Amino acid sequence: MSRSQLDSLIHMANQIAANNVHYGDAAAERVSTHLKKFWARSMKRQIVDYLREDGSKLSPVARQAVERLAQEQVARAG
Amino acid sequence: MLHYYDPKQASVPQHLLPERDYGTPARLSETLVTLEIDGTEISVPEGTSVLRAAALADINIPKLCASDNLEAFGSCRLCAVQIEGKRGLPASCTTPVENGMKVTTQNARLAKLRRNVMELYISDHPLDCLTCPANGDCELQDMAGAVGLREVRYGFDGENHLAAETDDSNPYFSFDPSKCIVCSRCVRACNEVQGTFALTIEGRGFESKVAAGQSEAFMDSECVSCGACVQACPTSTLMEKSVIEQGQPEHSVVTTCSYCGVGCSFKAEMQGDRVVRMVPYKGGDANHGHSCVKGRFAFGYATHPDRLKTPMIRESIDQPWREVGWEEAIAFAAERLKAIQARYGRESIGGITSSRCTNEETYLVQKLVRAAFGNNNTDTCARVCHSPTGFGLKATLGESAGTQTFDSVMKADAIVVIGANPTDAHPVFASQMRRRLRQGAELIVIDPRRIDLLKTPHHRGAQHLALRPGTNVAMVNALAHVVISEGLEDREFIAGRCDESGYLAWREFILDERHSPEHVEAVTGVPAEQVRRAARTYARAPNGAIYYGLGVTEHSQGSSMVMGIANLALATGNIGREGVGVNPLRGQNNVQGSCDMGSFPHELPGYQHVGDPAVRERFEAAWGVPIDDEPGLRIPNMFDAAVAGDFKALYVQGEDIAQSDPNTQHVEQALRSLECLIVQDIFLNETAKYAHVLLPGSSFLEKNGTFTNAERRINRVRKVMPPLAGKEDWEVTVDLANALGYPMHYDHPAEIMDEIASLTPSFAGVSFARLDELGSIQWPCNEAHPEGTPTMHIEDFPIGRGQFAITDYVESAELSNRRFPLLLTTGRILSQYNVGAQTRRTGNQAWHDEDVLELHPADAELRGVRDGDWVGITSRAGQTVLRARISDRMPPGVVYTTFHHPGSGANVITTDSSDWATNCPEYKVTAVQVEKVSQPSAWQRQFQNFDRLQLELLRGVKDEAGKQPSAERANE
Repeated sequence: MSRSQLDSLIHMANQIAANNVHYGDAAAERVSTHLKKFWARSMKRQIVDYLREDGSKLSPVARQAVERLAQEQVARAG
Repeated sequence: MLHYYDPKQASVPQHLLPERDYGTPARLSETLVTLEIDGTEISVPEGTSVLRAAALADINIPKLCASDNLEAFGSCRLCAVQIEGKRGLPASCTTPVENGMKVTTQNARLAKLRRNVMELYISDHPLDCLTCPANGDCELQDMAGAVGLREVRYGFDGENHLAAETDDSNPYFSFDPSKCIVCSRCVRACNEVQGTFALTIEGRGFESKVAAGQSEAFMDSECVSCGACVQACPTSTLMEKSVIEQGQPEHSVVTTCSYCGVGCSFKAEMQGDRVVRMVPYKGGDANHGHSCVKGRFAFGYATHPDRLKTPMIRESIDQPWREVGWEEAIAFAAERLKAIQARYGRESIGGITSSRCTNEETYLVQKLVRAAFGNNNTDTCARVCHSPTGFGLKATLGESAGTQTFDSVMKADAIVVIGANPTDAHPVFASQMRRRLRQGAELIVIDPRRIDLLKTPHHRGAQHLALRPGTNVAMVNALAHVVISEGLEDREFIAGRCDESGYLAWREFILDERHSPEHVEAVTGVPAEQVRRAARTYARAPNGAIYYGLGVTEHSQGSSMVMGIANLALATGNIGREGVGVNPLRGQNNVQGSCDMGSFPHELPGYQHVGDPAVRERFEAAWGVPIDDEPGLRIPNMFDAAVAGDFKALYVQGEDIAQSDPNTQHVEQALRSLECLIVQDIFLNETAKYAHVLLPGSSFLEKNGTFTNAERRINRVRKVMPPLAGKEDWEVTVDLANALGYPMHYDHPAEIMDEIASLTPSFAGVSFARLDELGSIQWPCNEAHPEGTPTMHIEDFPIGRGQFAITDYVESAELSNRRFPLLLTTGRILSQYNVGAQTRRTGNQAWHDEDVLELHPADAELRGVRDGDWVGITSRAGQTVLRARISDRMPPGVVYTTFHHPGSGANVITTDSSDWATNCPEYKVTAVQVEKVSQPSAWQRQFQNFDRLQLELLRGVKDEAGKQPSAERANE
């Protein structure tokens, strides 16, 4: 049972979200900080690209977190 | 000021000499007692024996049955002394000192008595001293000389034991009872030092003899071959076979064991550059002179014929290897790496540092990746074992390391062991823990399996919470719920040391009824009353200490569980003094060190994040290159990227990812996708079979450096023989960096440590000179703690206040269901180590030459499986076949195996499921089905073919059929 790279990343993002969901309003912030601190550049890029193209498999908290990540990337690029 | 030695005023030496035997163990009383021995006045702690007091004053009383690692026994009578005002000639080993005592150790009366004692011993001892293997290292011979024995009046014709048969069953030592003087040192060493109680004195009087188990051969008894008895034996009765074959060593070097995270100090006893035996070093701060079967005896792999001695290269993995010189191999590797980066980008290559290599070597590999590869794609095998420890402890306590020394356990009143099996995986520390348990400490084991620690002789009332695999976090939350709801928390500690708002949020979370033991009973399978009792025991104990292993970290919630454990310790104030703490038991010798040295893709040495500009600036100044500010890929991410085609080259030093990492078929696919795999190892391991460049590694006996053990103790590794292939591992990394155009130059690993110390605040005070001076150093070692830090967090935490973490239980994705109704959990056993590359090439094979599947009688019966049957184990990831062993150590529904033999394919079954925070694989929970089968699995057949092919290619032997290369077969 091998998942594709993107499936892995989606699964990981959802798992991080599930383990932080009890932080309520702060959850998305915590998840996005986690992604920022621990994910490689290519992994962040792929999950952000996925969000822009589809994003349907991301849980609500994971989605918000990736959205934050995307905004920061835009801000940094700009 | 000059000090003159005054023999009338001997004082207790500050530092005891580790090589010397002081006769009986030290006493720690602060009350001093002053006495006079042979006219010399000496003050010693109350409770000290006269024998030890004399030794401390450098007065040597003859002795045979006494040894300072064993309690006095008083059987040989050789240490008799005369004490003014006392009748008779008492044994000095069993006589405690008294104030004003006047002791005489030598006079005519004592000399006569001692000669008579020796005469009796020798009357039943073979007089083959010249050809005896103990010749040159025999206490009996020494004592015969010391007492001046000149004749044996009784002759040798009477009844004797001279014809007793030798027991050669153990692969490493022999037992020759004809030489035995029945001093009981071996029996006491087995009891007091090792704690196994495998030996006994059978019979009475003249019939007394040492017996293993129920008068069995040593190999058939409970003996675990730790070597304590061999070391304790004053004659050649228990003797290393290597000494019998080779003779006595002529010099020795103190070094550090290369097996588990205990990090025992050993004396490598040598003849020239050949190791004759490894003897545990009494001056070792981690092991105090004790050892286990691996470190003590299983070193023969270092000179095994399978060792790689020449660099090799090949274009593709179906080609034979070509032996080349170092220069050519390094140039080949460097060219390929550069070409791949030019074609696929800077981030398309990476490296894996080794948790078995030294700190200096690990540091250089991550430096090579960050400085010469120009990315942060570095990781280490700690990823698959203790990465959640780093994450979880840093988040809660502020430092990614255990809080105590091993010795701290001797002050613990309640010992909680979670997901660890110390008697098998950390045997020397387990012996110390058992010593404390025999003294009466409480034991709580939280583990699905009934581990051997629960069967500690002379310890009763252990609590075993046999939870379902994958429910750790539910359990730790329930324990914390009891602590808070029953008011057992340490309010003073919480108020004084912990972050208040974090605590209040956590308190509200944990008080929720869903965390009560009654509520989680259905999840964990452990009766609520047992959980309540355990929580009370831990919280009410004056000192409660938690020890944990991979049964905590290797879960989808590994990091949550580590934080849950820290929560529990913080809430009960069990942090910041001896006897308490949060203690991760590290798997491999240098897991702690490899993490400290910046092996992780997001952290530079000393756990300094790559995203921090100030940190990067310091490293950039020292290394002279810019450092990427984004984390790199972790090992599983590298595999995914390789399969996707984005990751093309990997440099692996001393790790066997093909065998040790989960979901073998995925790993194999990733390795096959690489255009350049460079493996540096001492053997052709499973990973090397997929490599293009083979760089022969050096064993721990062949290099200088340091290892850091589970208690943050930095120990010296010292070279005792030249590297078999000509280079120490750090030299190879230096060559590769230079070939890539990034200059590295060091003349000795000491210089690498100096660089580490200059860049890593917690290592600021560490140097080889300091290590040689102090023996070992527990980091942090800096201006504030120039001799290191045995106990952490005494005053405050590196993050100021302790942080409670909210750890909600999230069910593992690896659920059992109708298709996969059992849960598989994996682990290791005493005689083998990790992937077995070392121990499989030693006599340790005698104990465990195949991995078996342990399953409960009920599960076996349901499937018609009998002991010894072949069973197929199938998971969502794959299938493998092992022999079944029926065992009730696991609860029904749980099966267990080890992963020491590559052909077993234990990791063919383990899945991609991993810890949410660190991607540490969930080795401990895999849903499986087990059924009776009659042949190996498809993977195993393919493995055997591929293995055969690669061994042929190593020998340069082409397939005989010629036209049909076996690679095709391997891919069937």
